[in-house]
Amino acid sequence: MSAGVAVEALTLTLGAFRLKELDFALSSGEILVILGPNGAGKSVTLETIAGFHRPDSGRVLIHGRDVSGLPPERRKVGFVVQNFGLFPHLTVAQNVAIARHADRAVAASDPAFPPHGDPAALLGYFGVAHLAERAPQDLSPGEKQRVALARALAGAPDLFLFDEPFSALDAETRDRLRDELKSFLRALAIPAIFVTHNRNDALELADKIVVLREGGIMQSGPVAEVFQKPANSFVARFVGVENILHGRVTELSGGGVTLAVAERTLRAAAPGTPIAARSPVVLSIRTEDVTFCSPCGERAPQSGVNRLEGRVTALRRVGPLLTLAIDCGFPLKAYLLASQFRETKLGVGSAVAAEIAPEAIHLMTE
Amino acid sequence: MDVESMQTHPVIGSWRSRAAPSRPSSLYLLCWFLGSVLLAFLVIPLVALALTQSGTSLADVARMADVRAAIVLSLEGALLSAALAALVGVPLAYALARTAFPGKGVIAALIDLPLAVPHTVAGIALLMVFGRQGFFGEPLQAIGLKFWGTIAGVVVAMLFVSAPYTVNAARIGFEAVDPRLEKIARTLGLGPWRAFMRITLPLARRSIMTGVTLTYARSISEFGAVIILVYYPMTAPVKIYELFLRFGLEQSAAAAVLLLIVSLSLFVLLRTLAQRGAEQRENR
Repeated sequence: MSAGVAVEALTLTLGAFRLKELDFALSSGEILVILGPNGAGKSVTLETIAGFHRPDSGRVLIHGRDVSGLPPERRKVGFVVQNFGLFPHLTVAQNVAIARHADRAVAASDPAFPPHGDPAALLGYFGVAHLAERAPQDLSPGEKQRVALARALAGAPDLFLFDEPFSALDAETRDRLRDELKSFLRALAIPAIFVTHNRNDALELADKIVVLREGGIMQSGPVAEVFQKPANSFVARFVGVENILHGRVTELSGGGVTLAVAERTLRAAAPGTPIAARSPVVLSIRTEDVTFCSPCGERAPQSGVNRLEGRVTALRRVGPLLTLAIDCGFPLKAYLLASQFRETKLGVGSAVAAEIAPEAIHLMTE
Repeated sequence: MDVESMQTHPVIGSWRSRAAPSRPSSLYLLCWFLGSVLLAFLVIPLVALALTQSGTSLADVARMADVRAAIVLSLEGALLSAALAALVGVPLAYALARTAFPGKGVIAALIDLPLAVPHTVAGIALLMVFGRQGFFGEPLQAIGLKFWGTIAGVVVAMLFVSAPYTVNAARIGFEAVDPRLEKIARTLGLGPWRAFMRITLPLARRSIMTGVTLTYARSISEFGAVIILVYYPMTAPVKIYELFLRFGLEQSAAAAVLLLIVSLSLFVLLRTLAQRGAEQRENR
């Protein structure tokens, strides 16, 4: 019996919508985030794993057990939705007690976890035993999340499914609840699939990411890989890359690539996948990888680093940072700290030189 | 929603704080003025009718066995009709709320049809299928179920004109229950039936109760379909009509007030029960 969850070649037709051959896997204790825009099929994927849609083909394996033919009540999945979906006509204790497997042992690895998931012990584990007689609508979002987790665990799940639980929360609450959820999931070591359109959720929670678009997987892999090396410009935009440039390979040589973007020439490190000379490419450069100097004076760029002269076209405040929009033949964005901004006295029209290390330029074919 | 929760309500509360201090806006004054015309129109005839009767005249009419029997038949028939409407109307409402299919609008329109058909027309149509040679009437006679001269006919006539209230209200109630709550219940190990009984049905209870109460009230008041399908035994509205034809306004008015008192107190009681049950559950 292999531990973990595998979705194999899952295909589903739902009216005009189709899930196309979804393949992904996560091992015990891992969190997989399905990231995608609205309408990508994230929730449908989750509901298919839970057993609410019958796939045309493909399998869902939970700890080696093929659950594809089972109804939701026999799949042993814990389902948490937007606003946590507590039953409004039941008290907190009744919400947890309604699960039919309340007496079944839970496969959690945390030694602090109660061996038998009776409602009181489960609420105690999450520190909300004192809320047992309260109505769900009187709870704060944080309390709701804890009750929802206790309830899901009462069903003795082998897999957690989260369908955008935070999407109705303000940013501050969202951050706090996300941290809390992560530490609970780490302690319980029950695998979890988390659906969201928010890349911060993905960055904070995920071990692995699946990027979904129109029912198909655009990219899947470890979180760092998807964020640093997006497979295409759609993924790049979705994981927050702001500098996406179209160019052409002019020369391949000695572990590097020479590129033409607009009228400028850039050097990039050789990509992982083979690339043909003279072929069109798309460059993905994260904003935090663009540095600049103004004025640059006598200082020469470090060897190999691309230096691009240009002018500031806009300055925009984003939290503690400013985003600098530079026109250097093509538009480029860089961050600077508020303190840097005061020192440099930059304004719209100021001359600057942007600097980009060759390793920071990620090449994509589309 | 009570007044206090309206004042603290984020949206409704705001008009009060803005408009209340000096004088209410002309919009609300006009609405209240026009609304009170309607309220007066609804209440004054019934109060005027009630005021014509003394305690003794009511006691006299209440002592008449045929009047009492008619009122009891009305209440019984309406109870059965409401129970039947709940039995077959609530499942239909759930199916309509949770499934999508072509022609759903046609079915919704069919459900509303009895509301648009004059009730004498409904009575004639029912007579054709539930009469002695009717599509249902003839075969059902073989198993001893007759619709002429029996309470069964009364119930059929009442159900036809009043079932839409139950279906429509229950459907709105089911549609307001987030389907994901049912899904969560399923993942917790509850089968589809248990999930429905434990989650969806209790959450739609208030709307269902409202619908069944309306069906009950409408059944008591039904006259046209009942008098055509079954003249005897007489329900209260038919009895009052008969008294009016035979003895004139005075006799019929006393029976009318008696029916008014009985049915109004029942209606108020049912509404209160439905309301209270729902408020215990629902403070969302």
